[in-house]
Amino acid sequence: MNDESKSTRPAPDQEPQVTRSTAPMWIIVATLALLFFGGLYLDSHSGWFNDRVYAPYDSAEKLEAFQPKSGAGAAAQGKRIYEAVCGICHGNDGAGKPGQAPPLAGSEWVLAKGVNRLAHIPLEGVSGTLTVEGKEWNLNMAAMGAALSDADLAAVLAYVRTSWGNQAGEVSADDVKKVRDAIGGHPQAVTGDQLKSIPE
Amino acid sequence: MKTGFSVFLVAFVALGASWFGLVYAPLHQLGIEKQTAILQSGDTWPPQRTGDATLGLDVYREYGCAACHTRQVRQTGVANQLELISLGQHQAADFKDFLKSLMVVPELNSFSNTLCGPLAQWDGRLPVTLYFGPDDTVIAALVEKLKPLGIKTDARVVATGADISRGWGLRQSVAADYLYDQPVELGSLRAGPDLTAIGAREPDLNWQLQHLYAPRSVVADSSMPAFRFLFEVRPISGRPAPEALTLKAEFAPPAGMEVVPTPEARRLAVYLLSLKTGAPLYEAPYTPATAAK
Repeated sequence: MNDESKSTRPAPDQEPQVTRSTAPMWIIVATLALLFFGGLYLDSHSGWFNDRVYAPYDSAEKLEAFQPKSGAGAAAQGKRIYEAVCGICHGNDGAGKPGQAPPLAGSEWVLAKGVNRLAHIPLEGVSGTLTVEGKEWNLNMAAMGAALSDADLAAVLAYVRTSWGNQAGEVSADDVKKVRDAIGGHPQAVTGDQLKSIPE
Repeated sequence: MKTGFSVFLVAFVALGASWFGLVYAPLHQLGIEKQTAILQSGDTWPPQRTGDATLGLDVYREYGCAACHTRQVRQTGVANQLELISLGQHQAADFKDFLKSLMVVPELNSFSNTLCGPLAQWDGRLPVTLYFGPDDTVIAALVEKLKPLGIKTDARVVATGADISRGWGLRQSVAADYLYDQPVELGSLRAGPDLTAIGAREPDLNWQLQHLYAPRSVVADSSMPAFRFLFEVRPISGRPAPEALTLKAEFAPPAGMEVVPTPEARRLAVYLLSLKTGAPLYEAPYTPATAAK
């Protein structure tokens, strides 16, 4: 035994003592930082604990991106909403009701090139005279589509434009959104002449 | 004990945190599960079970079906698929050239190998898959170019994975699927196939009963034990019973006898028939096959 080791040992007759010593601050900070970023990593790769996000989707955005956008399903949805909202007056066959609602099958308003003009009708309603297929109608239609979501109204318009022999283009939710934004917060029932001034 | 309160506090926080994370949060997220809307349809999922089917779950549990059969489909990926449905007035050979000429479009440029490669050996048969992969911008760009020409395409979202390739389902199982299962019979061993969609794969009640009575009468190399004790083999009195099984000669009872399912067997079969392919849900989207037609 040398002198050095002797000096660090407690004397044999001394009781061992518990001493306090703190862990270096940087270890504590580094551990907490690691835990924090580990937690963030886990969360961000498991959809932030969203109960509707299952693997292989790792975020709500990714799940949203894979929602089917069109197809027969959208047509079925359009048919269902049409029959609940529009069919009462316009008829489930799109033939309309004499004196009350003009036909949609073969209507030049429905078969227009774009849906800009058409979308104003369910979003704002119609009042006054409107000529459909050469026949004049005196109408008073409420804004039946204003309460529907963009996607739902687009599905309805697409259904109307492609059913009962109608063969016009498809409608996207963006088309409807554009019209809704253009109308803003002040929908006002349009007349036939006003409608004609709106681009198709 | 000077530190008594701190010990209590630390233990309380630790146990409270694990209770919150492992009991309360899952219960809050999934315990209040209700029927959910099926994508692009007015219907809800899962469909309510009939009384017999609900009782059938108890039979399923009693005879330990879950020991050899799972009821969970796994999914490893998801893809966007673009199928060519019809060429309109165009010819297949022209279409190949046209597709090549489209590759100058910036959105399509980086996909030229994926798009044109597989079509090189294409014999003109329809439908053919134009694109299968994670990207949907390429599909939107292609559709935009093809649509004005009268070329019909169908864009679909497809779930992928081994279980789905085996035909056990069209998407993975999610919590909503088990809404009416009490208890949930997930199973963990696949000595037999997964039963998630058995009611859609074999929708015939008689098939299900034959399979329970004599598995090899309908699946030649089945390793399932026969559940004959769920059936009554009895002499025909007068006319044969309407619910008697029709069996192949090899498995049929001797002449003058008939095999009649007990109520238990019927319930189990009805429960199996109630297990249908998962409908597309928000949390497990796919495009149903009917969209192609």
